[in-house]
Amino acid sequence: MLEIRNLHANVDGREILKGLDLTLPTGEVHAIMGPNGSGKSTLAYVLAGKDDYEVTEGSVTWNGVDLLALDPTGRAVAGVFLAFQYPMEIPGVATMTFLRSSVNAVRKARGQEELSTPDFLRVLKEKAKDLNIDVEMLRRPLNVGFSGGEKKRNEILQMTLLEPSLCVLDETDSGLDIDALRVVADGVNALRSPERSMLVITHYQRLLDYIVPDRVHVLSDGRVARSGGPELAMELEKSGYAEFGGEATAA
Amino acid sequence: MDLSVQQFRTKAEQEFLDLYTKAEKTLPGSKNPFVADLRKNAIATYARLGLPHRRIEAWKYTDLRAHLEDVYPLATPHRGTIGTNELEAALGKAIVAFSAYRLVIVEGELREDLSDMSALKDAGAEITSLAQALETPPAWLKETLSKAGPREDDAVFALNTALMTGGVTLRLPKGLTLDKPIHLIHLDGTGDPASMVTRNVIVAEEGTSATILESYGSLGMKELQRNAVTEIEIGDKAAIHHIKFQREAVETTHLGIWLATIGADARYDAFQVSTGALLSRNQIYVGFDGEGSSTEISGACLMRGRQHCDTTLIVEHRVPACVSRELFKVVLDDHARGIFQGKVIVAPDAQKTDGKQMVNALLLSETAEFDSKPELEIFADDVVCGHGATSGQMNEDLLFYLESRGLPEAEARAMLIQAFVGEAFECIDNETLREAFSGVSADWLGVSLE
Ligand SMILES: Nc1ncnc2c1ncn2[C@@H]1O[C@H](COP(=O)(O)OP(=O)(O)O)[C@@H](O)[C@H]1O
Ligand SMILES: [Mg+2]
Repeated sequence: MLEIRNLHANVDGREILKGLDLTLPTGEVHAIMGPNGSGKSTLAYVLAGKDDYEVTEGSVTWNGVDLLALDPTGRAVAGVFLAFQYPMEIPGVATMTFLRSSVNAVRKARGQEELSTPDFLRVLKEKAKDLNIDVEMLRRPLNVGFSGGEKKRNEILQMTLLEPSLCVLDETDSGLDIDALRVVADGVNALRSPERSMLVITHYQRLLDYIVPDRVHVLSDGRVARSGGPELAMELEKSGYAEFGGEATAA
Repeated sequence: MDLSVQQFRTKAEQEFLDLYTKAEKTLPGSKNPFVADLRKNAIATYARLGLPHRRIEAWKYTDLRAHLEDVYPLATPHRGTIGTNELEAALGKAIVAFSAYRLVIVEGELREDLSDMSALKDAGAEITSLAQALETPPAWLKETLSKAGPREDDAVFALNTALMTGGVTLRLPKGLTLDKPIHLIHLDGTGDPASMVTRNVIVAEEGTSATILESYGSLGMKELQRNAVTEIEIGDKAAIHHIKFQREAVETTHLGIWLATIGADARYDAFQVSTGALLSRNQIYVGFDGEGSSTEISGACLMRGRQHCDTTLIVEHRVPACVSRELFKVVLDDHARGIFQGKVIVAPDAQKTDGKQMVNALLLSETAEFDSKPELEIFADDVVCGHGATSGQMNEDLLFYLESRGLPEAEARAMLIQAFVGEAFECIDNETLREAFSGVSADWLGVSLE
């Protein structure tokens, strides 16, 4: 279970999260919605442990583990995975090498046996196929020259390979056409399990047609302003985020 | 000796003259009038110039006169056994494992017992130790040694000519393609501090093709002052890859010069990686003498502590339609200092010249320092020339991305540093050699690569 209590966080000395409370039980999928600038990505980065996001108050625990006490590597080992809104391009690092290094780093830290190169390649090929990823693409430098859709699929591939227990997906739907969205959603749905929790961050309701959440939370000005069932997403689709300090147009 | 130009000499400046006076009669080739004259003229040039210092523009960032306090005696050749263990300790496993015709130069002397002389001869190359060649220099060697160029105003080059004791002369006859690279291994000894002055002279005739790797490592000598020159003449339609790897002990002063002339429709690719020495200055002079040729000069230096590494390139487009590319990666930690000077000269006749230069520095600490100085001297109008230099710190966003995937911080940093220098390593055509060199940066970083 993820428990976030009274979380305050600053970026560049400015408070962005202003007392956020959230409970995500194990095995559930919750959506985080909200207007642009409400702090959704900030929450994602704080959970993953980015340096320049300074937590000033509150607590975050995952299955009883104090996440805020861990560095980003430690959090990944503890099961946290953030699918980035804007995945980084890293010239000079071959995607395949990176994937194998990170999978084995995590396995080693979790006390599992590292995968041999042939074993790793077998797993990789299988998972890549499910996500419609051409293995040739994985020989290229990490995310360099990848289309928006390819980058997002690569994020989901990493998520699949690292077998996290807490998945945070930040606007995974942005920049995807409907076909790519389906592939990505299928990939995410395949990972749903009673042991795994997911936080699906999105600005639009569309993604939630494919990844149906157990609950929906609306973030506004660094706090959870409202929570409800999947129907809350439908309501926002019609009314927009006006009452949450966002633009009046429908989301 | 004419002392009229230089009024005052530092202790080290005088000691170089003393070194010459003392060794003059016993240096290789001292009985040969051509060689004796060559050395006399060279020491006179040095006496006129003195050691280079910061008020000389080309040495602005590397004040050799201030750096050198003493000059060590010329090395006395080492007779100990040198096996795989010693080589691996000196150069690292990856470079030693690499299959090549080995020529091993220890304390300035070619050790034929450790070298693949006969295999290289069987492959069609002409190979002699420099010491032996200087006793009765063949015409081609005389011609090469007496060419003008930087000899006129480079004190380090002049000292090399005056004092050179060892190295090889290598001739690749017309049309020869070597099946394996040649690996020139330069080692110090195990004794007291010493100077080592080596010269390799390589003539690659028309249509030849070869890879020549020079490596410099330490067997554990207390302190080393190295002056190493390689002259290489590349004939028409020849294709030569020339690679250098320097990881000498951290007390070393390493002065290296490569001097290349390129014929027509030829290709010369030079690549240098430095991780060793306290102070190193790597000068590469490349001159185009025939149309339609190209050169790619690239490399990386990885420095930490108080190391100082200066890379100075001079490319002279003397004829039309040649292409030059320069790409260097500089990684500096602690108080290390990196310097890159790149000069491109385009003669009035050298139309259709295409010359580009790029250097990128990665500073891993606040106290590291990088200076770069590009110089374009263009006297032709129809040319494409450009240069760029960047200097920055580790990208924290990329680091976070890798760490969020479970990579420990040290490993994530190493991966990014390797990616940074890797772009230059791409310039090595030979795949096994390229892999050996990724081992070099991993070795520097203290990480193991699978
Ligand atoms: N790295 C940063 N530096 C400065 N301001 C930031 C940074 N990241 C986010 N912010 C600010 O924090 C607020 C919340 O941003 P963000 O969490 O990205 O919102 P959302 O993802 O909901 O659109 C915005 O006002 C944004 O400008
Ligand atoms: Mg966002």
